[in-house]
Amino acid sequence: MPKPRVKVAWFDFACCEGCQIEMTNFGEPFVQLLQHVEPVEFREAMSEKTTERINVAFVEGSFTREADRARLEEIRTRSDIVVAYGQCAVSGGINALKNHMDDYSEAVYGKDCKRPHLDSQKALPVSAAIKVDYEIPGCPMDKAEFIRVVSQLVHGTTRVYQPSYPVCMECKRRETVCRYDDGDHCLGQVARAGCGAPCPADGIPCEACRGFVDNPNEAALAKVLHERGGLPKKWADTKSRMFAANQRGDA
Amino acid sequence: MTTRFLSDGALKQFVQALMAKGPVIGPVARKSRFVFAALEAPEDLRLDYDTTILPPKKLFFPTKQDLVKFDSPSSFSGCVEPKEQVLLGVHPHDIKGIDMSDKFYAANIPDSNYLAHRAKTTIIGSNVQKHYKHAFFGSVCRELKPQGHDMFLTRLKGGYLVEVRSKKGEELLALGKFEPASREQAAEAEAVNAAAEKNCPEKLNDTSDSVREKVRASFGSDIWNELSRDCFSCGSCNIVCPTCFCFDVQDEWNLDGVSGVRSRCWDACLVSEFSEVSVQGGSENFREERAERYRHRFMRKAVYLNDALGGPACVGCGRCSGACTADIANPTVAINTIMER
Ligand code: SF4
Ligand code: SF4
Ligand code: SF4
Ligand code: SF4
Ligand code: SF4
Repeated sequence: MPKPRVKVAWFDFACCEGCQIEMTNFGEPFVQLLQHVEPVEFREAMSEKTTERINVAFVEGSFTREADRARLEEIRTRSDIVVAYGQCAVSGGINALKNHMDDYSEAVYGKDCKRPHLDSQKALPVSAAIKVDYEIPGCPMDKAEFIRVVSQLVHGTTRVYQPSYPVCMECKRRETVCRYDDGDHCLGQVARAGCGAPCPADGIPCEACRGFVDNPNEAALAKVLHERGGLPKKWADTKSRMFAANQRGDA
Repeated sequence: MTTRFLSDGALKQFVQALMAKGPVIGPVARKSRFVFAALEAPEDLRLDYDTTILPPKKLFFPTKQDLVKFDSPSSFSGCVEPKEQVLLGVHPHDIKGIDMSDKFYAANIPDSNYLAHRAKTTIIGSNVQKHYKHAFFGSVCRELKPQGHDMFLTRLKGGYLVEVRSKKGEELLALGKFEPASREQAAEAEAVNAAAEKNCPEKLNDTSDSVREKVRASFGSDIWNELSRDCFSCGSCNIVCPTCFCFDVQDEWNLDGVSGVRSRCWDACLVSEFSEVSVQGGSENFREERAERYRHRFMRKAVYLNDALGGPACVGCGRCSGACTADIANPTVAINTIMER
């Protein structure tokens, strides 16, 4: 007898929904995934909303309004497993760029900037509001990694392997010419691997879109970006805010 | 030992003849660097390369290698299928590195996958025509002589002095227009190789034995904190090293939860998860500090493996020095600093 399908639901908070789009781009693996999971809520691809029990909840986007806390808590209560996916959910992502600014609102929204729905606080990871069981980083998240993690979860594995080392490992394994050898800069030394290091292979720096490894050497990064990468001192110091603002020492 | 002379034109024809029999892997340009890759035309071969990003070990043990495919708990099949290949243009110090790998992977439980690829590979070495900026092969691991290769080419005027090193190498002579070599040509080739050792841009100042003793004695010293202050724990220095041999094995499951593949990939003792072990449901890291991991690589290269190898586990290629974006992996800098204290 086939196993009952695992009930899954997708929820989004402050984000561009790019990760959901990435998921609907899956093609064949997604069709396969549907043999094992039963989507009960997925805004990007279906309209119904439910209140039933969820086995695995996928949460996308950062926690940036206190008002969202109740919704996140409800998701947590309804779900056996919560997976934060995409860098916004994992670390606050690119949204967290605003965390160290207070003058963006008017520049972005103009005369509407005081309207209540535009009010937001610091962009924080989902884990700042509720307990998160698994994280799938990346901006956008990596399709292959998503499938890798989910295929283990739907079959009841509790310890899922994701590399914790920096992107340099994957970059070197595919024998890419280092950006620094090309007179460029790169953040691969502090970025969490798992993506397969596609950016340096395409000739562009790793921007650490998957956030930091656990113990990033931030001082060395600023030094190397400046001295070897040629970035002006101030830029070198703040460069990693792009995707890792909440993971930096000065968060 | 048989010696021959191969003119430039005859080399091209020889490479063509090798390519007609099977894959020929040699140094080819990749942007500003070089990599070992299958030649598509004899002209791709760049025997004037300085060094490659990854060592030739990848030909016997790819950086990621599928080992076993499984369909169910009881149905699985191996997926390593070694094919005859020619590895052409390996520098003498990299030949030493291969020789060390051969020993490492044959010891204890022999690594049948590595050894099968190795057995099917014919190795033709070549002299260093251009030094990598961090090379110091002239002042390290002099105890060991390059061995295990089948043929060796040294650049002379108008062609190459060819040394035949094995029976496999002897058989290759039938594939090309090899001329007799004179005693003078053989002597000239010897001088060329000796000069390459002497002219390395970087240098270790002390002998392997004195380095081993002093580095061993420095285990508890604060110098490791100093030297590793900028370390990213990124593992690049391990991945590019011809004498590193560690790997990680992972199972990847397909969506059905039954089938999948077991593969292995090159690992690095500089990264934190390398020394993480599961302990009673949780995990422990037996080299938790950055400095401890940084120190471990130097201990491995300069101290721990010397007895098994007869010399240090470093052939002086300089790849680690160039790969380290923090510029702290250079063995000549680190070891000379320790020796001077
Ligand atoms: S290009 Fe970037 S990721 Fe690749 S080795 Fe260099 S620093 Fe590391
Ligand atoms: S290489 Fe860097 S920027 Fe590119 S996908 Fe990986 S983590 Fe993101
Ligand atoms: S330690 Fe460095 S110089 Fe020595 S063999 Fe390894 S990569 Fe080459
Ligand atoms: S230096 Fe580290 S990675 Fe290299 S072989 Fe030794 S333990 Fe393994
Ligand atoms: S020594 Fe350099 S290459 Fe090695 S892990 Fe540290 S930063 Fe990376």
